[in-house]
Amino acid sequence: MSALDATVLPGDLGLVATRRLLDGSLDVTFRLGPGDRPLVASGESVVAGAPIAERLRDPRLIEMALPPTADTRPGTRIAEGELLFDWRGHWRVAGGDVAEPIETPVAGIVRDVRPGSAIVVRANGQAMRGIVAVGGATRGRLHIVAGFDGELRPGSLDVGLAGTILVVGSRIDAETLTRARAMGVRGVIVGGLASKERRDFGASERRQRAALHRLPPYAVLVLEGATRRPLAGPMMAVLHALAGREVAITIDPPGLLFDAAETVIPRPPTDLVRVRAGELAGRDGTWVAALGPRRFAGGVHLEAAAVRFDDGRTLAVPLGDLERFI
Amino acid sequence: MIGRAGGVWRLLGCLAVPAASDAETAVDVLIRRVVAADPDRATALGLGGTDRVSADRLPRLEVRSTRPRRLAVVAGSERTLAGLIGTADRSGWRTVGASVVTMDPLAMSGLLLDPSVDAILTGASDPPRPDERSAIRELAALVAAVAGRRPDLPIILAGGMAEGLAAFGDVGTRPGGVVLAPTVGADGAGPLADLLLELALPPDDPRRAIGPATQSLADVLDRRIETIILGHDASVRAFAAPSAGGVPAHARLAVVPIAAVAPDDPDDVVVDGVLLWSTVASDRHRVRDRMRELRIAPWADAAGDGSALRMAAARAALVRLVARTDGKDASSAPDLVLTGGGVWSSVPAPTVALAIVDVIRRPGASQFALDHARLLGVLGSIPDADERRLMLRDLADDLLAPLGSVVTPAGLRAGRSAGTLVVHASGSTTELELVPGGLELVDLAPGETAVAEFRFRDTVRLGVRGRHFAVDVGGGLAGLLVDLRDVPLRLPDRADRRRDLLAAWQTALWAGADA
Repeated sequence: MSALDATVLPGDLGLVATRRLLDGSLDVTFRLGPGDRPLVASGESVVAGAPIAERLRDPRLIEMALPPTADTRPGTRIAEGELLFDWRGHWRVAGGDVAEPIETPVAGIVRDVRPGSAIVVRANGQAMRGIVAVGGATRGRLHIVAGFDGELRPGSLDVGLAGTILVVGSRIDAETLTRARAMGVRGVIVGGLASKERRDFGASERRQRAALHRLPPYAVLVLEGATRRPLAGPMMAVLHALAGREVAITIDPPGLLFDAAETVIPRPPTDLVRVRAGELAGRDGTWVAALGPRRFAGGVHLEAAAVRFDDGRTLAVPLGDLERFI
Repeated sequence: MIGRAGGVWRLLGCLAVPAASDAETAVDVLIRRVVAADPDRATALGLGGTDRVSADRLPRLEVRSTRPRRLAVVAGSERTLAGLIGTADRSGWRTVGASVVTMDPLAMSGLLLDPSVDAILTGASDPPRPDERSAIRELAALVAAVAGRRPDLPIILAGGMAEGLAAFGDVGTRPGGVVLAPTVGADGAGPLADLLLELALPPDDPRRAIGPATQSLADVLDRRIETIILGHDASVRAFAAPSAGGVPAHARLAVVPIAAVAPDDPDDVVVDGVLLWSTVASDRHRVRDRMRELRIAPWADAAGDGSALRMAAARAALVRLVARTDGKDASSAPDLVLTGGGVWSSVPAPTVALAIVDVIRRPGASQFALDHARLLGVLGSIPDADERRLMLRDLADDLLAPLGSVVTPAGLRAGRSAGTLVVHASGSTTELELVPGGLELVDLAPGETAVAEFRFRDTVRLGVRGRHFAVDVGGGLAGLLVDLRDVPLRLPDRADRRRDLLAAWQTALWAGADA
């Protein structure tokens, strides 16, 4: 970055990569395995928290002969489970003894039901997409515990946060995530989740799900990436507007879903750009102009733009490091 | 942006911006740059002056690469599965697979019914070997059941698995179709690979278009060409030789998603591969995080350490590409190695040739060029071969930024000197000692040609075995690079020594790397 005088011409903001701040209705996919039993049909309306399927905890393969009068098509359900395929007059069946419900955290219309494969629900409301979500789809009351560049520590958590989805700022570690789950927190929204924390939390989550006692679903939604980075100002503004309201985290696609009928969602200024990487990562600024190729650290030449920051400086930033919200 | 100037097609300008940018703004900026650079020519082309044509009325050729689709591969034996996955991996598919030996029918049904699966390939050797004969009948029943539940899913039955076709009933009414395919060919290439490539990518996909583009260039330049494109979602390698005797030749093409520069979920193999080539001290977790960031935002963080990461990621991707495409075609050095891809756009061009010869180690001499405007895939998508050749004939000099020539002798004995090199170029002569284990650089400007005369103390391999060689070489941004390192390359096991060595080799070609 180099300091510039502010005499460059405005324009060419379209060169900056766009990122949608909010999406309309989203198709949310709930994966099913062979033997899982859908409880809904295409076209049905579902409300948040409604069970839409039963998932087998420990599916097993059963081999059995069926009477000739039975409906014997792959995917058909019988008392023992789900028919997979016929092999030499005997059906291979996916069955199991213990099932647990899959609940939708969002209201919407069931678009598609494919036994053994997936249920797709078109969710009502709006969505803020994330980079990745780990855990199970969940819902809860949004609660902001740290600023856009903050970090949450295990000691800051208590049972008073049970039932909430926490916004924790720029990063979090696996220990805090597992403690939050133990305190009854339903979800966490964070800017960055490092690969190591993601792996450790994933392993912990799998162990918890393998236990006999069923836990409420819990999810971590990552909005930015794998390195520590403050949450974007426009995203933080939306989260502030949603504080105290019921929201949902979905896994596929990863996103925060909410019904914004009575909420005023702030829109970012058109010329607001955000630096997503490099020395100024996380800072918001105002677009000034495209500058053409410039030489940057490491002796590389990159397309650059002039950006004015709130400290009054106008700096040349690689165009690829910028993003803007629409 | 290309236009006709002086009766031929010329490259007027190029601009690369992130995919999520506004293309119209990019076109507008490009036109303004062309007008500013050459107002008279811009006016003559209708881009400037009072009679200028609106940008939206300029003819456009658009191509768009999409994320490779996912192919589930199942087989009756591990041996057949390995062959099928090897073939599919180089044919534009992201693969997931299992054999009946290692996976039970319940898990295999789950694998095939996964909503992220876009097609199923199942196969057996032809005729089926005794160890897979009984297994493939049950496998055919399982796949047929899945085919019935997901009628939109294309099913490919390869080799001896065609015996199970009856299990699929009336395949003519099935929307996804059932395709009978030959068995796996040698080196993973052959008719099955071609068929899978056709099913994976539409004809105008820019990665698939690299094949026709390479062939057209080979015909136009009358050279044997190897093209290597390192991409965000997949990498491409193509080999082409000039058509001869009036019979059109066809390039051998491989599209390898597993060799993407920034894979979806970088596993330990990918991360270790990047660490091996890294010139920056780091650990696995940090590299994995940065590879994830590179996947999310490939344009971001390209300066400083970001460019070093890209060089390491590019070499690691090239290793994965070569592992899946090395065969008869790749054994001898081509006349021209042509490379391209977004990863090269943020590193100095002279280092690109070095990155490639670091990985592809074969004795011989080749010229290297960079598709700096990344137009090869675009022009390759022109369906008419004559029109495509015409365009490439006019544009070849503009499209190919010459990187220089690389001469790699093999079989050098360790010692103080392996011989001497005399470069005869436009009246001047450069002489230097050849020291085994290092790189020798000779300045040779783009467009300049020379004769490099090698006199080795012992017999070496340079295409053929011998001690005295005279090689025609062309200049470029990196000049003439004489690579006297081991073939294959041996790197120190200790990470710090390896980093220092890689950095030393790279620094010679990377002006301002420490800035």
